[in-house]
Formats: sequence, structure tokens, C-alpha cells
Amino acid sequence: MLSSHRARSAAFVTSLLLAAAFPLLSAPAVSDLPTVLVSRQLAERGKLHVGDTATFANDASGANATRFRVAGIYEPTPDPMRFTSPRIEARLHLPDLQAMTASRDDPASGESVRALNIRLADPGDADAFATAVGARVPGIFARPTTRARDGSDPFVVLERFHLAVAIVTVIGSTAFLLALMVMRSEERRETVGIIRLLGVSQRFVLLVVLAEGVLIAAAGAVFGVLVALAAEGGVNQFFQWRYDTTLVFVRVSARIALQSVALAAPLGIVAGLVGSWTLLRRDIVTLVRR
Amino acid sequence: MTAWGLAWRTLVHNPARACLAIGGVAVIGALLFDMLLLSRGLLVSFRDLLDTAGYDVRVVANEGSPIHRAPLDGAPALADAIRRLPGVERVALLRTGNAMAMTPGHENTAAGVTLIGSTESAMSGAWDIVKGEPLPATVAAGQPTPLIVSTKLAELLGVGPGSPLRLRVSLGGGASALPALDCRVAGVGTFQFEAEDFYTVATTMAGFAAAQGAPESEGDADLVLVASAPGVGPEAAARAIAALRPDVRVYSNAQVVEQFNARAFTYFRQISVVLSSMTLVFAFLLVATLLTMSVNQRLGEVAALRALGFPRRRIAANLLCESALLVGVGGAAALPLGGALAVVLDRILRGMPGLPERLHFFVFEPRTMVLHAALLAATGFLAALYPVWLAARLPIAATLRREIVS
Repeated sequence: MLSSHRARSAAFVTSLLLAAAFPLLSAPAVSDLPTVLVSRQLAERGKLHVGDTATFANDASGANATRFRVAGIYEPTPDPMRFTSPRIEARLHLPDLQAMTASRDDPASGESVRALNIRLADPGDADAFATAVGARVPGIFARPTTRARDGSDPFVVLERFHLAVAIVTVIGSTAFLLALMVMRSEERRETVGIIRLLGVSQRFVLLVVLAEGVLIAAAGAVFGVLVALAAEGGVNQFFQWRYDTTLVFVRVSARIALQSVALAAPLGIVAGLVGSWTLLRRDIVTLVRR
Repeated sequence: MTAWGLAWRTLVHNPARACLAIGGVAVIGALLFDMLLLSRGLLVSFRDLLDTAGYDVRVVANEGSPIHRAPLDGAPALADAIRRLPGVERVALLRTGNAMAMTPGHENTAAGVTLIGSTESAMSGAWDIVKGEPLPATVAAGQPTPLIVSTKLAELLGVGPGSPLRLRVSLGGGASALPALDCRVAGVGTFQFEAEDFYTVATTMAGFAAAQGAPESEGDADLVLVASAPGVGPEAAARAIAALRPDVRVYSNAQVVEQFNARAFTYFRQISVVLSSMTLVFAFLLVATLLTMSVNQRLGEVAALRALGFPRRRIAANLLCESALLVGVGGAAALPLGGALAVVLDRILRGMPGLPERLHFFVFEPRTMVLHAALLAATGFLAALYPVWLAARLPIAATLRREIVS
């Protein structure tokens, strides 16, 4: 179970690091200081290294400023829902965070947390558990971490959008291919006429065209997959650089490659046949006439 | 015959080829048009949505954001201080939460709603009353809490002005141990920020606090909406408010839009750039290949024209006109096609949960059409360069001899 703010049970993420509190002190490491893990992005921005001392505060005024020793630097788990936000984060031991954020006016604040992660014995009970918690403890918001299956998942929506764009691209490509095939057939008008004059049947010519279409379509589809594979790295590198994340944006899986080939190959064959049909339906005299 | 006339005859001579080429350009042009619409659609739509609410400055707690808001400390005092600022015209306090709405005796048909508490009895722009009355300024003790319900919810539950309705605040989207609150529908309205898959109910701040089971929290709020005075402007008002309370975040509508543009909308902007570039490359390849093949098929014709005294410039102009006709007609056909496609793609993307119904991903702007035309024109020109070069450097005598021999 993951509650609303994605906090982990043992270590909490704080985004209260403000400009004044980034690198702050670079005094020699003090072994008895509380320890903290900082995200790679924060370490880069604050020029922090393992063993450095850093001061964290609740707000820009420096309230409740506390010194910590940087025990490690971590790469935040890529989150597709938050990839546009810079991951300026740190993980503190829960008692340290509570000590920093506790309010003198509220004695209970030192024992408060904003979220709890719960692992159920049976993950299938997540919905029932969330409902039960909400009903029994007013003020608690519990929700399962699994993605919704009711079609409201934003990634399912994005997938539909990409599919629609892909379909439009395929329609455009088909028109392109048909135009090319028609031109190619026109180029071979005389050749086909002479072959027909030599006694080769229409059926054989059609088979030749079909075989040629299969070869061209297969080669085109394989080439397309190879281009996609080559572009995969570039696209990922660009977006990973742009958003400073390790999230993978494009992955050419075997399934997608097979889908592309399965769609492109028949389209290529059909385009070849349609283009050639304009020649085959004509009589021999028309074909050889200049 | 002019270059345009010759180009037209060349295309008409091969109608199937011309139609397919124009069809290809139209489909690719439609996709390009849609990607250009997408690149700024959310931004324009979101700005429009914010502006129609009638308030141009938003004040939220430091911990939150304009969307995910935390409670504001001392909201009533802050609102009073803002009201006293010279550059401020109107101030409204807002509070939002989730609740289940049901008609008495039909608890099994409860609907999840977004509950809004407001200090204003009417917020033209944010919600517009279509039936009944706005929220009353005061509610007598013992009277049911007045509500404005959205038209969709009114239709779902079969309620109208004067109908009783019960609210039970929910904190997890599910059942809650909090007692239900008896309310009365004062009016039915359209909520500008209502999502397609959500329902909205507005009430008074006292009504909101009562629904929360904490009447003493009537003064709490998570958002202060401010309308700046004419002539002062939202930026100046925002600066003045920020100076009042450094512990709050103040955004003008333009700043909210800017923030969303930099983060939330960036994905669609990037994908529109990627797909626009791809469609342009595709259109370039399409036109360049077709023209090149066309020139290759007509080498003898071109050589003959040159032999008759047609200058290179004329041949080049002919090919450029042919390219312009293909791209021009295809590009013009792309506009209605792209418009229809945009409706479909917009409907798909608006399936995302929680999006206001009025927010659109594809929004038409005149500048998009200009940009579309300019990009296609540049593509058509570039695509014609190679075939033009091919035709211009053609050796006349050798080509004619080859034609005769073949």
C-alpha cells in the first residue's frame, strides 16, 4: 500500500530543501551527526559528496535548521507521473524528520507521519482494506498502489493516443506506397507488355509482382525496425538528459517489432498488387504501344 | 503555356498518381496540423479556463501548489488584508474536499463528488447557475445547508432546486464514519472546472465545515482567489500580496500557466515537436521521391523541351510548380482532415482522469494555420530541389539519343 504522498515507511522524502539550505556548510564530517541520503540531482545542485555536512531547514527562513552528514547519494526510482519535476529530494531517518518538523504548539506532531506504507498478506485485499480503513478511521485516506483497471489510467489513455497517431501515419504511408507502386508499374509497362507477348501468363506476372512485393515489404519492415532500434537510444538519451531522469521513454520490444512487421508487410504486398493491377487489366497491345 | 499550366497538365495526365500523392500529403499534413495544435493547445485552453473564472491571482499555502493545495493558515485574516490592498477588486476564499452525495432514502445510489466551500454566493465564470438560485448570503440556524449541484449530478440523482440531498464527506473516496449532512439544493449550475468523470457540489464555508463535522473550522480555506483592480494588473497585485505574507505562494494566472507549461504540459509539447519533425521529414520524402521518379520517367520529355529552347529556369519553375500544386492542394485538404482528426485525438486524450471538461488538447489558433502553411511550403520547396537539379543538369543530346535508341 502506498498512501497519498509516496512516503516510504523507513525513510521519508522531504522536499523542503530550500535555496539557503543546499550546500551550506562544508565543514569536516562529524561522525555523530544524524545521517541523510540525498538524491543525485540534489547532490549535483548542492555540490554535495558522501561525508559532507549539510544543513536542512523547514523553510527559507532557516527554521529548525539541523545539520546532517551525507551518508550516501541515491538515484531516485524513475516515476513516469513525475518525470517533469526535478527530483530534489533527501531521505532522513523518521525520528530526525519528526524532530525537525515537530511543532511546539502541538505535542502530538512529534509522533505524526503523513503516510504509511502497508504490505498486505494478500494483495488482492487492497481495495477492501482501503475501504475498511477509510470507514473505521475518519481522516485517513487509504488507497491501493495498483493501477486502476477501469480505463482511467493516464498511461492507457496515452497508449490509445499513440496508437491513433500510428494508425494515421500508416494511412499516410499507405498512400505514399501506393503512389510509388503506381509509378513503378507505369515504368514497367513496356517490359510487362513484352513479357506478355512472349506468352507469359497474367497469373505468372502477378506471382512475380507478389513475390517482389513480399521481398520489398519485408525488407522495408525490417529496415523500419532497425531504424527504430537505432533511434531508441537517441530518443531515450535526449529525454533522459532533458528531464534528468533514468526513465526509459522508448523501448522497441519484440512484440512491437513483430506488430510493425505484421502490419507493414501485408500493406506493402497489397500496395504492390494494386499498383500492378493497373497494368495487368490492360490488353497487351495497349501495354506495348508507345 | 505558363509553368503553372504545364505543372497542372502533368498532374492531370496521371490522375491516379496525383490523387495518391495529394492524399498522402493530406494525411501527413493533417497529422502535422494536429501536432501544431497540440503544441499549444493545452496552454491556450488552460489559460482560457483560468481567465473565465473572473479571478486573476491565486494564493495558496507554501507547502502546496495551485492544484494540490494545503490548508492556509489564518485565511480569513489574510483575505481581509488582501481586500484592503489598493490594487484588489474582489477576494474569495475557497476550500475543496471529497464527499458522497445521495438523495435521502437512496443511499445505495450515492455519487462521489468534489465538494467546494466558498465565501461567495455566486462565482460567475467558475460556476454559472442554470436553474434555481445562488447560495444564500446567510443561512438561518436549523435550516438545511444550501448547495449548488452540477447539471450532471442533478441529472444523475434526479434532483433540482428545492430537492433534499445528503452529503457525507469521504477522505479516501470510499465510505466514511462521518455523519451525513442534510442539505437542500438551492440551484443547479455548470462548473467550468468539472471533470468529465466527476461531479461537483458547491456550498457555503459554514456548510463545508458542517459537512466535515467541524463547524469551528468555518474560517479554514486552501485557496484565496483575488481579482485585481482594473488598471493595476494581476502581476502588481500578486507582488503586493506576496509582500503581505511571505509564508504563502501567490500566482497570477499567467504564472500558473507558465508553471504548468514548464512541467505538466511539457510532455505534449515535446511529443508534438517530435511528431511534427517526423511528419515533415515524411512529407519531404514523399514529395521528393514522387517528383524524382516523375522526372526520371520524363527525361526524354525534359530533354526535348530543352532542345526546343526551354531554358533551365523554366524547367525548374515547372517542377517547383508541380511540387507546389501537390503540397498546396494536399495541405489545403489537410486542414479539414486535421480538424476532424483533432476532434478524435482530443476525445481520446480527454479520457485522462480528472481533467476539466472544458480543457482541450487541440485548440485552433490562426497562427497555427500560418505555421502549417509555412512549414509545408518550405518542405515542398526543399523536396523539389533534387529533381530540379536532376532536370537542370540533363545532357540534352545524350538523353535524346538514348530515348530514340531505347
